[in-house]
Order: sequence, then C-alpha cells, then structure tokens
Amino acid sequence: MQEIGRKGIKNLFSITADFLLSHCNEFNKIDSKYGDGDHGVTITKICHTIENHVDNWEENYSIKKFIENLGEDIMGVNGGSAGPLWGTLFIGLSIPLANEEKLSIESFKKMFKSSLDELQEITLAKIGDKTMMDSFIPAVESILSYKGESLEEMFNSASEAAIKGCENTKDYTAKFGRAKNYGDKTIGTIDAGAYSISFLFQGFSKALKA
Amino acid sequence: MKMKKFINNPTDLTKELLEGLALANPETLEYVDRKFIVNKHLENANRVTIVTLGGTGHEPAISGFVGEGMVDISVPGDIFAAPSPQTCFEAIKMADKGKGVLFVVLNHAGDMLAGNIAMKNAKKENLNVIKVVTQEDVSNATRENAHDRRGLVGCIPLYKIAGGAAAIGKPLDEVAQIAQYFADNMATIAVAARGATHPATGDPIAELNDDEMEIGMGQHGEGGGGRMPLKSADETTEIMLEALLKDLDIKSGEELLVVVNGTGSTTLMEQLIIFRKAHKYLAEKNIKIVANIVGETLTVQEQAGFQLMIARMNKELLEYWNMPCNTPYFKKINSKGGNL
Repeated sequence: MQEIGRKGIKNLFSITADFLLSHCNEFNKIDSKYGDGDHGVTITKICHTIENHVDNWEENYSIKKFIENLGEDIMGVNGGSAGPLWGTLFIGLSIPLANEEKLSIESFKKMFKSSLDELQEITLAKIGDKTMMDSFIPAVESILSYKGESLEEMFNSASEAAIKGCENTKDYTAKFGRAKNYGDKTIGTIDAGAYSISFLFQGFSKALKA
Repeated sequence: MKMKKFINNPTDLTKELLEGLALANPETLEYVDRKFIVNKHLENANRVTIVTLGGTGHEPAISGFVGEGMVDISVPGDIFAAPSPQTCFEAIKMADKGKGVLFVVLNHAGDMLAGNIAMKNAKKENLNVIKVVTQEDVSNATRENAHDRRGLVGCIPLYKIAGGAAAIGKPLDEVAQIAQYFADNMATIAVAARGATHPATGDPIAELNDDEMEIGMGQHGEGGGGRMPLKSADETTEIMLEALLKDLDIKSGEELLVVVNGTGSTTLMEQLIIFRKAHKYLAEKNIKIVANIVGETLTVQEQAGFQLMIARMNKELLEYWNMPCNTPYFKKINSKGGNL
C-alpha cells in the first residue's frame, strides 16, 4: 500500500485506539512504580477521544481539519503531561497538510517531521532522558529514513524502532516528570510514556496490515 | 493498603467533588461551565486577579482557596492531573478585569506544560499576564537548581500574600514581584509514613513498611528523600526544620511564616504536636513565628505524613498576609476585628 484515503485513515486511528485501550492497565502498572499510576487513565481518555472523532468525522471536514481537531481535543483531556504532549503530537501531524484527500508515504514523512518539531518546542527531553521521546524520536527517524514504497513496511520499521527505543529506557535514569525524583532507582524499569508511544506505532503498523 | 472509600463512579470523582465544593460554599465561589472554580465576586474586581491550576484529589487545595482575597479562578485538572492548556488560557482571559492577571503554577511536569502553552496563547493575544512558578521543595534539588524543585504547600500562603497585595491596588508587575520574592524565600519539606492510593484506580502509589517513614517525599508520596525508621514527632520536626533553615540560611532574629500541612491521614493532634515543637525549636534559636497555618491544606488521598513549610517574612509581607480574605478553607477577618 502506498497511500490511504479517508476510510483507511479511519481504520488507522480506530484500530490503533482499540489496541492502545487494551494495554491501559499495563500503562497504569508501570506508571505506579515511579509516577502516579494513572498514565493508562489518561491514555484511555485519549483513545475515547480518537474513537469519538472517527465516528463523527463529517464529510466536509478535510483530513487536515480532522487530525487538527482531534489533536486539540486530545490536548483538552485534562491528563497531566500526556494530554499536552499527545495533543501536540497530533496537532503537529496536521500542520503540514493542505487539502490532501489521501495520505502517501511522503505525506506521513512530513507529518511526523512536523510532529517531532512541535514536540521539541514544548519539551527539552531528548533520547536518554527516559520519556516518551525515547521511543518517539527513533520511530520518526525510522519513518524519515524509509526508502521503500510500502506504508505497511514503513510503519512496521517505525514500530520496531519505537519498541527498541522503549526497551532502552530500562537503562536510563529519569530526567523529567515525577520519576526524576527517584533518580537512579528508576534504572531497570521502562518508562510508561515511552511504552505507550511504542503502542501507538504498533497500532499504526497493525492497522495497516489489517 | 487496599482502598476503602465512599465514592461513586471513579470517572466522576472530579466533577462530583467540585459540585460539592460549590454547593457547600454558595456565597464564596461558583463552579462555572464544569471547568473552573470562580470567585463569586470576580465580576466586580477592579484589581489584579489571580489564576492558578492543579490536579484535584488534594482537597482543600487548590479550589478551596478561591474567594475574596486569595484565588480568583482555579483551573482544576482531573485527580492528580493537570488541566488542559486551553482551559488555563480561557481562565486567564475570563479573569482579566483590566488590571492584568497573576498566573501561579506549581512546578510539576504536567502543570508546567499546561501553564507554558497557556502563556504562549496568552502572549499571542497580548493578554496582560505574568506567571510565577512555585518550586520550594528542598528535598529534590539545591536552591541553585530551583527549576528542578517541586511546588508543594507553599503555593497557598503565596496566594494569600499576592491576594493581599492585589487587594490594596498594587499594579500587576508589583504583585508579581512580591509573589516572586515570597516564592524565592520559602522552603518546604515533606515526610510520609504511609503512601497514598489513587482514587480512580484504587491502587497504592507508594508503599512504605509499617516501621518506616520517608523524609523528602513529593506531593503524591513519590520518593526523593531517604527512608528511615519511624521517629517521634519532635525528632522528625527537628530533622525537617534543620533542612529548611539551612536551605534559606535563616539567622537568629529573623521572622517566619510556618505551615504544618497534614497530607490526608495524619491527625490534627499530630499536626499540633509538630507545630508546638517547631515553635519551641525556633524560639530557642531566637527565630519568631509571625504567621502560621496548621491543618490540612494540600493533601493527598489518605497519605499519612505532613509537609513543613517556612517563609522569610518582613513587615510588608505581613501586611498582605493580614489583609482580610474569605475562602472556604482560609478566612481572615480584618485585623481591627471588623467584618469583611
């Protein structure tokens, strides 16, 4: 598959939301070790927001508008850091779009580049700081360096990069959020934010194969 | 500890507790659009107004301090979670009565993200707003690295001081300077003997053994300090006060505001015993307590423990502190004994 239209995008988002939802208890569990234990609560709200937008996507709303509105609502979920971060991630995806009726490999490349830029404007976290950026940055880098012609393959590699990035957080000391107060004690545990982001890419990859 | 509480559907906690707060205090505040807790007299405020934000689950903070003389609008998030940036931005717009807005943010990752994005939007619309961040927890970073320090109970007396300065008609830049000075001269340290539970999931957040305590814990019992065997009230208070005095370099002859803040399941009896020790300990060092709060101010669900907060005071700050205020959980009548 080289591009997807509205129906494909709806599937992409709803299958991803379903997949994320089925792992929210795990997100809570990991977060309860060095956070508040409610990361899954926030991701649940984000997933319901995604489902809601997919179900109510009006014909006259462009793909850009759909993703932008979705991002605004995700930012509004009242969910600690994850709300603004995931909201910014999605709004970032919508920024470089114009009136596209389909999203191609090239579209996704510019969307994720923009998303990364927007996130880096609001957080100083970089690879090694034990945050969601540890899986997001390698996934986006994998997308940007993809040379093939298959969306499935592109997101499959991105998903693998995100999983690997997330696993690496086990070796890091937390530098942001509540976990940073635990310092080196956080070594050995993966970061809840990096973990949920890896499921976002796994969801995309799964949805494209479906 | 397994959660055992009188709640309804966990997803409705925030809405229901804020409805309860508004119903219990109809003269003082309103729950507007199911998003904001607003000072009932905000419409007539011909002065600098004060907006703050923060998660719920810490009652009475922060919405319990909305009313005349303290906070004009609080933007409550969900349980332990920051509200959205858009809601904060809306609150700043709503609060501005022509004299500008002081926006107080506690240094926690989610609150700061929401606060920074809200400030970005406010600047785009040329709103007259200044942000002050509270970051007074001495346990997780040195004073030079204050940007890494958590904001704990110190925000509450700061609202009072800034509210007092706003009430006498100080312009926004001065109110912000006063708030910033107070923020720079306060220090807090927390101790927990038993961790909190998350009321939405029912799971414990931090667990301590029966014979242990941890000094330097954060707002939800997240670590940062050192675990040690449980000590007496006097010994614990002494360890904590020493850390605070050292952090602010308080000398003999100085005057302090002191807050003993129970964090949910430490009793008023214990808090008063702690305050007694603090008073004696400081008196021995010729340091005078000129203002205080003893009680539950910024709690977390059934966490046993308390926060001890001190701030360096002067005549001017004391004047703002003594200005009348009327909020559900902190009231001051005017010092001449009259009504508000």
